[in-house]
Amino acid sequence: MTGVRGAALTGHRRPAVGLAAGDRRRTWPWRRAALAMTVVAAAGLPFVLPPYRLFQVTLVLVYAVALLGLDLVVGHSGQISLGHGAFFGVGAYVAAVMIGRLGLPYPVTLPAAALVTYGLGWAAGLPALRLRGLYLAVVTFSVAVVLPPLLKRFPEVTGGAMGMPVATPRGAGLDDDQWIYFLVLATAAVAVAGIRNLTRSRGGRALTAIRQHPAAAEVLGMQAASHLTRAFAWSAMYAGVAGALHTWTTGFVAPDTFTLSLSITLLAGAVIGGLATPAGPLLGALVVTAVPAAARELNPAAPGLVSGLLIVAVVYAAPTGLAGLLRRAAAAVAARLPAGRRA
Amino acid sequence: MAALLEVSGLTMRFGGVTALSGVDLAVGEGELVGLIGPNGAGKSTLFDCLTRRCAPQEGRVLLAGEDLARLPAHRVAGRGVARTFQNTALFPGLSVRENVMAGAHRHGRAGFWGAALGLAAGEERRLRETADALLARFGLGEYADHPPEALPYGTTKLVEIARALAAGPRLLLLDEPAGGLAPAEVPAFAGLIRRLHAELRLTIVVVEHHLDFVLSLCRRIVCLERGHKIADGPADAVRRDPAVVAACLGVTR
Repeated sequence: MTGVRGAALTGHRRPAVGLAAGDRRRTWPWRRAALAMTVVAAAGLPFVLPPYRLFQVTLVLVYAVALLGLDLVVGHSGQISLGHGAFFGVGAYVAAVMIGRLGLPYPVTLPAAALVTYGLGWAAGLPALRLRGLYLAVVTFSVAVVLPPLLKRFPEVTGGAMGMPVATPRGAGLDDDQWIYFLVLATAAVAVAGIRNLTRSRGGRALTAIRQHPAAAEVLGMQAASHLTRAFAWSAMYAGVAGALHTWTTGFVAPDTFTLSLSITLLAGAVIGGLATPAGPLLGALVVTAVPAAARELNPAAPGLVSGLLIVAVVYAAPTGLAGLLRRAAAAVAARLPAGRRA
Repeated sequence: MAALLEVSGLTMRFGGVTALSGVDLAVGEGELVGLIGPNGAGKSTLFDCLTRRCAPQEGRVLLAGEDLARLPAHRVAGRGVARTFQNTALFPGLSVRENVMAGAHRHGRAGFWGAALGLAAGEERRLRETADALLARFGLGEYADHPPEALPYGTTKLVEIARALAAGPRLLLLDEPAGGLAPAEVPAFAGLIRRLHAELRLTIVVVEHHLDFVLSLCRRIVCLERGHKIADGPADAVRRDPAVVAACLGVTR
């Protein structure tokens, strides 16, 4: 059979095509060129920027890795995690203790941090995600609250409230900050590729399906609890990896870096950057790096307040976040281009 | 004809409301059965019980002899039951093709690790080919990359049927598939379902308000009213049954 033609069957309203229909491939005209330019810029950056600026860019990439993971839970799965900063902190401390106390080489700390936080993510997510929603928020909230005092409790291992300095990675032929930048950049690139593959696969589709229509997802054979738990463990693992990178970058860990307020700032970054969008985590990381620093100049207590107000403002004015605003801007530019250059 | 689906004594209460009351229904392998009844008769609730969306207080649902009550809801798809929803339940965040690929979820095995490491490409290609073949069958190939909101309502109904078929069902439950279609579209739509039924050797139960549609489509009609089965038989007999006329035709005409 040739089948009934959809258009013939529903001829009363023709579907829009191209831009108006949201055909994503056409909204950004020079995708490949933009990608190539990004690669060149990313590779050249450490030889142009002064060390302090490069340090800041490295931190943005570190937070971007953390937000890629958080976006899996908040954006793709539609759940709330208030404990992302704690998993980030666990990763940071795993790296710090392995390098500083055990004298292990830094490359092994990355998989170790990933493994530990993946396991913790399973353990925390398994009970909470059977109930979901607010329960997950409460469980992750308590994880975030418990971590700093716990770290202070074992000063022989963690350095206590004062924290501890850690030797940063060194590479031959490059300055330390340049070497670290490239390490973080490479890790971030792998992290992006992993999330991209994941969200475009069977599991990623299931997360979107479960978030948008749980009943239909279940009828299609998708088990919500199992997918959400896996997504949560992955998100914790990304936070752990980012935490280890943070230790490499800053060469210092202290309990008060990884408080509830970091978790809230990260959540704000994910929302403000744009949920479940490719560019969201990077834009969110810019916000996470820049906003608390700027707010602290006003008042030491301001960062939490400013993050909160920004969440409200974005949810109210631009629900798709900065990524959505940029996409709309790009679409507006593309619409003004001569038709021939659009494809 | 061996009964694929056997419902016996099914009772479903929501608080003080009895949505289904002692309903018996047997559907043979390969049958195409119409399920009619006024609003609130319990038609959609019956579908919900068949897909384990609801846990009935009494009665049994056997699919090929297996008690569905023993299965968790997400395993019912694996036993070959697929359905569509009354107001269409496509996933707006996925393209039309991805929606159909999501329908084939149970035919994939890739987990998070395999997918993230790029090991699921072969399976992904297979699911994509399945989806594209189904979309082509429905004449929807050109919409594959579009988000579902960009399509007219009648077309989204077709996409949802394609998604249900992607699961590879033995028993297909269609909840008001013709609802919201323009009158001119209805005969072609009935033809489509008839062809699917014949070519894929499916067992289909259709819930429908649109009586001309369902009477022209199904040889056997079951009528529910306020949770009770009031008629079950050949379409011509049910159409003339005074109780059915009072319950359905009087209301919907």
